[in-house]
Amino acid sequence: MSGIDPVTLSVLWNSLIAVADDMGVTLRRTAYSAAVREGDDFSTGLFDANGRLIAQGNFSPGHLGAMPYVVEHVLSHYPRDTLAPGDCILLNDSAMGSGHYPDCFVTSPLFASAENGGELIGFAVNCAHHVDMGGAVPGSQIVDVKEAFQEGLRILPIRIADRDGLREDVLRLILGNVRLPSIVRGDLLAQRNTNVVAAERMARLVAKYGQSVLNAGIDALLARSEQRMRSLIAALPDGTYEYEDKLDDGAGNEPIRFFAAVTIANDEITIDWSGSDDQVAAGINSYINYTRAYSAFAVKVFTDPLLPQNWGANRPVRVVAREGSFFNPTYPAPSSGRAATQIRLFEVVCGALSQVVPERAMGSFSHWSNPIVGGTNDGKPFIFYDLLYGGYGGRATKDGAESLCPVFNATNIPVEVHEAQNPIRVRRMELVADTGGAGRFRGGSALLKEIELLADEATVSLSGDRHRFSPPGAAGGANGTAARTTLVRGDDEITLGSKSIAEMKKGDVLQLRLSGAGGYGPPGERDQEAVRRDYEDGYISARTVREVYGIEEAEWLTD
Amino acid sequence: MLRLGIDTGGTFTDCVLHDSATDERWFGKTLSTPAAPQQAVMAGIQTLQRVRPFELADVDSILLATTAATNAILERNGARVGLVTTLGFRDVVILGRAKRYDTYDLHLDKPDPLVPRRCIVEVDERVAADGSVLRPLDLAPASIAALVERFDAESVETVAVCLLHAYANPVHEQAIANALKAHRPSWEVSLSSDVSPKYREYERTSTTLANAYVMPVVQRFLSSLQAAFAASGFVGEMHVMQSNGGLLSPELASAYPVNIVESGPAAGVLLGGLIGRRECLPHVLTFDMGGTTAKVGAIENGEPTVTSTFEVDGMNLRQWSGLPLNISAVELIEIGAGGGSIATAPMGIIRVGPASAGAVPGPVCYGRGGEQVTITDANLVLGYLVADRFAGGQMALDEAGAMTAVRTQLAEPLGISVRAAAWGVHAVANANMERAMRSMSIERGRDPRDYAMVAFGGAGPLHACRLARTLGVRQVIVPYGAGVGSAVGMLEAEPRFEASLTHILALDDQSTCAGMEAIYRSLEERVLATFESTADLITRRHVYARYAGQGYELRVEVPRGPIDQDFVTATKSQFHAAYAAAYGYADESASIEVTEWQLSAISPNALPGRSEGQPLVPSGSDPVKLDSRTHAAATPVAVQKAYFPELVDAVAALDSGAEHGENTPPDGKVDERGLIDCPVFERHALVSRISGPAIIADDEATVLIPPGDDAELNADGDLVITIAQEYDE
Repeated sequence: MSGIDPVTLSVLWNSLIAVADDMGVTLRRTAYSAAVREGDDFSTGLFDANGRLIAQGNFSPGHLGAMPYVVEHVLSHYPRDTLAPGDCILLNDSAMGSGHYPDCFVTSPLFASAENGGELIGFAVNCAHHVDMGGAVPGSQIVDVKEAFQEGLRILPIRIADRDGLREDVLRLILGNVRLPSIVRGDLLAQRNTNVVAAERMARLVAKYGQSVLNAGIDALLARSEQRMRSLIAALPDGTYEYEDKLDDGAGNEPIRFFAAVTIANDEITIDWSGSDDQVAAGINSYINYTRAYSAFAVKVFTDPLLPQNWGANRPVRVVAREGSFFNPTYPAPSSGRAATQIRLFEVVCGALSQVVPERAMGSFSHWSNPIVGGTNDGKPFIFYDLLYGGYGGRATKDGAESLCPVFNATNIPVEVHEAQNPIRVRRMELVADTGGAGRFRGGSALLKEIELLADEATVSLSGDRHRFSPPGAAGGANGTAARTTLVRGDDEITLGSKSIAEMKKGDVLQLRLSGAGGYGPPGERDQEAVRRDYEDGYISARTVREVYGIEEAEWLTD
Repeated sequence: MLRLGIDTGGTFTDCVLHDSATDERWFGKTLSTPAAPQQAVMAGIQTLQRVRPFELADVDSILLATTAATNAILERNGARVGLVTTLGFRDVVILGRAKRYDTYDLHLDKPDPLVPRRCIVEVDERVAADGSVLRPLDLAPASIAALVERFDAESVETVAVCLLHAYANPVHEQAIANALKAHRPSWEVSLSSDVSPKYREYERTSTTLANAYVMPVVQRFLSSLQAAFAASGFVGEMHVMQSNGGLLSPELASAYPVNIVESGPAAGVLLGGLIGRRECLPHVLTFDMGGTTAKVGAIENGEPTVTSTFEVDGMNLRQWSGLPLNISAVELIEIGAGGGSIATAPMGIIRVGPASAGAVPGPVCYGRGGEQVTITDANLVLGYLVADRFAGGQMALDEAGAMTAVRTQLAEPLGISVRAAAWGVHAVANANMERAMRSMSIERGRDPRDYAMVAFGGAGPLHACRLARTLGVRQVIVPYGAGVGSAVGMLEAEPRFEASLTHILALDDQSTCAGMEAIYRSLEERVLATFESTADLITRRHVYARYAGQGYELRVEVPRGPIDQDFVTATKSQFHAAYAAAYGYADESASIEVTEWQLSAISPNALPGRSEGQPLVPSGSDPVKLDSRTHAAATPVAVQKAYFPELVDAVAALDSGAEHGENTPPDGKVDERGLIDCPVFERHALVSRISGPAIIADDEATVLIPPGDDAELNADGDLVITIAQEYDE
């Protein structure tokens, strides 16, 4: 028993999680970019004075693997004694942050008094996906590059605000290199505002509990989280479990091998990606922080989804990858389209851990698509940023969900919002029949979305996958169908690679069809009523009923 | 004149009768009869009639709040709906917004949509964001016939139509309604351009669908009530409470039933407004803590604050887990902290809610099979409940059972005393509610020190004072009739109708004045058409605005006068002020755009017998004769052991409890330090000001007065508690 009573500890824990959540509320409500305010593509975290993650908001997990290291990097450039209330240190370096430039981290020191300073009590960090960071394409996400210099503006830790507000001199340098400076500025302001909220909240907690009780509470919280994580891991059988899958390609034509060896040894777990391919000359490499983030995410899904995400819970989880490999590349390896890897990263760990925890197994996801169309319209620049999700793989006890964000956790963006703000028209957005993998529990369906360009011309950059290797089923479930991306120009249909760049002209239609998710269990074991429901709701055709599920005649089978 | 307020809830049906001649009120409470809600209503009326004889023929108006619409959604027993969408967009309502409500749970599911996919049919048409028609609606007889045939095959009862950008141009939706009506006159058709003309297609479809889904249920309920009232001789007016706190005619409630989904909770917030008006308090936080949740609302300058969207049927009150409804509703934050919320201690940390034991099996101390510790059990262990007064003395409480459950489930695993563990549950529940309160006040730019708290619901008055203290709220009022708060709150409501539409316009462009004027003209036409007489109507304008480029809007009131340069200037400064209040800064140089325009009309004098600000003299089944009050000191009716850590150094007491380890006896010495002989007062007999620590009991709720706070009854029978600041810090 530590030096804090359970009642105070319980209330304190609530308060700390509330601070991280409230930071997120502030960021979402004051941000300008669609990715943040509609897509929830941001994160918040709260750290103690030692740089240990105490609490995080329930937002995008991809940023959170990076956060502990962000504080370390900030401190190596701005030692503790140089920090003052109101400071905001920005960075977006791929290795220090979460693996690509649009993710801008803003770190602020927290003091016992938000106005007057005093003892340094911790750090607030938030990360937002910015609309643009310069580079070769609008949106700064491109797979088809050779080195990081082409991807945009790299920002090593730099003070962008102090107690007097944003530092306009530094901002001039940044905003002079991005496509939509006013939006980037607005989002940086929102990020600063978010940390101001955290500073006030934490100072209030210090005033209420006193520094020593607060510290004792944090120690206890981290220790218990660690203890709990260790006991969960210890419950799994020791051994090394392996799984592999492939990404379609990078910018070239070669598939990229994803291989994980997951070793459970007593109360620790190690995920080793060293057996994967080498880093590639395409903007898709997964810097180690990104690898860490989604590996740790998978462990959490397989242990206790409700366990607080903090330094203690992360300690028994080790993520390693050979230097120079795809999962631990060295600068200037390009990485701006690395979001295309996160689903597979999770799925490979999932494949390995399913061997020990079969009840948590699931078929593979539909993957997702993140097309960015940018150009100028009537002389004004625009960036159309979209997020498309298909279904989940069939799960051990039920069908895969339809259209739900896989692994990371963002929302889609309404068609009516997109059309009101961008020179595009969505022609169609619907689920496609016969695409989800058959099984005792069916995989979710593919999503089809068609986007017509209304501006004279634009560039589209794609970072999808599952065009070549369709999502595998689990436990005998069938694969889902593969994805397909087509540029329709008049009567021509141009097939696009999953991670390509293409020029679009007015009237062109970009047709994105995601893959279907994998099924779970043998299709022959599917409940007939479920087959009937799928048929009547149009998720499967009569042909699938007959050929896949083997039901030749039924009064409800009308054609 | 007599008015009757009725609130049909999931568990209870509450009634209140108000006589404006004497300003007296009488209360009644009966168990609800969900299968035929009118039975409970008539039973409730009979209960009232036994206390205060009257005939329905003598009642001038009946005000009704109901959970009929909400329950239809929660229980998925609404109508079979057919949904019509734009070609290519069949799946909008199935796709939803695609976000998990729990990031780390990949085994969760989205809420079931209110329509199966087979009942969603597309029509060939397309409207653009600016309202222009890109592709005319295919109204060919064959197409319409196919649509009707499809719906017939699925036994559709009502139809919802939600086409892309219909908020900007409703012609296609209207044409479909006409065509369907021509084929099947019995089908009620809900149009998104009528029900919720706002952009964001999923939310609009979800709202329109919900409207169609609950319509037959609500219509049946209202017409059976009207018939039952008529059969008993009622010839007055009937009004239905909307989610936004205004009243609707039964006809409009039947046409737009989605607007009454939150009618009960909205009426509860109005109770805060009623108390505030009587006590001359412009700003009130309302705190309603019942069996499964706690709800927090706000009254600002005498009016409930409203929101333009909320979710229904969520999972554990998590955002993204429910069905979004874009309707104007009294703003409420609801959290899983009710008397039945379950407490656990994973990892040595006490957690409370959101899981709830509900009314069945309920808390352990109810003795109905509940096995998990709840907030009510903890409060009983702490000595805060008066066992023989609980629920009017109709329910015996099993204190030994609660003690055992707290000991085995919390105290022993945590290595602390039973009393400390129970206190932990109480404190964590308070912390959860404090967070909701802060969110409703400070985060929305409201300083709690300027607010009074009105506490009601079965458990609200027990937690209110400590909550008020941590927030800096200086006064807590537990109204007379707190147990039937929503029914009483309705007496405050006024007929109200509002209309709104999405149209994005930049405010700095003066050439848009004509556009704005046209918007308000059309809104005015829609609103005024719903009132029989427009003579005394008060209209108000609000806009939802944001800095151009942002994605979330703030609602601000704008001037009523002509739309000119002054209007634009005033609107801008209103917005900057509201933004600064909400977020701490305003960007005066940024341009502002309005996304939604809203017009509301209130008919303040339409209700006969509505009290006009004069104090109401309470009465009830066991009325107090206030005029015969003596000025003698109040005497407690009993004394019971209750725990007040405020009286000792709480942290020190609990720390020493922790040191005693697992073997601390349940009623060990440590507990004695905060445990005192606490006087219990009968609320009706509270003839003078008393100081805490004290417990005040009546049939509806127990009020806990912690040390330092003072309580007295005001002339209206409300319990007014003055909160000592910073007593425990």
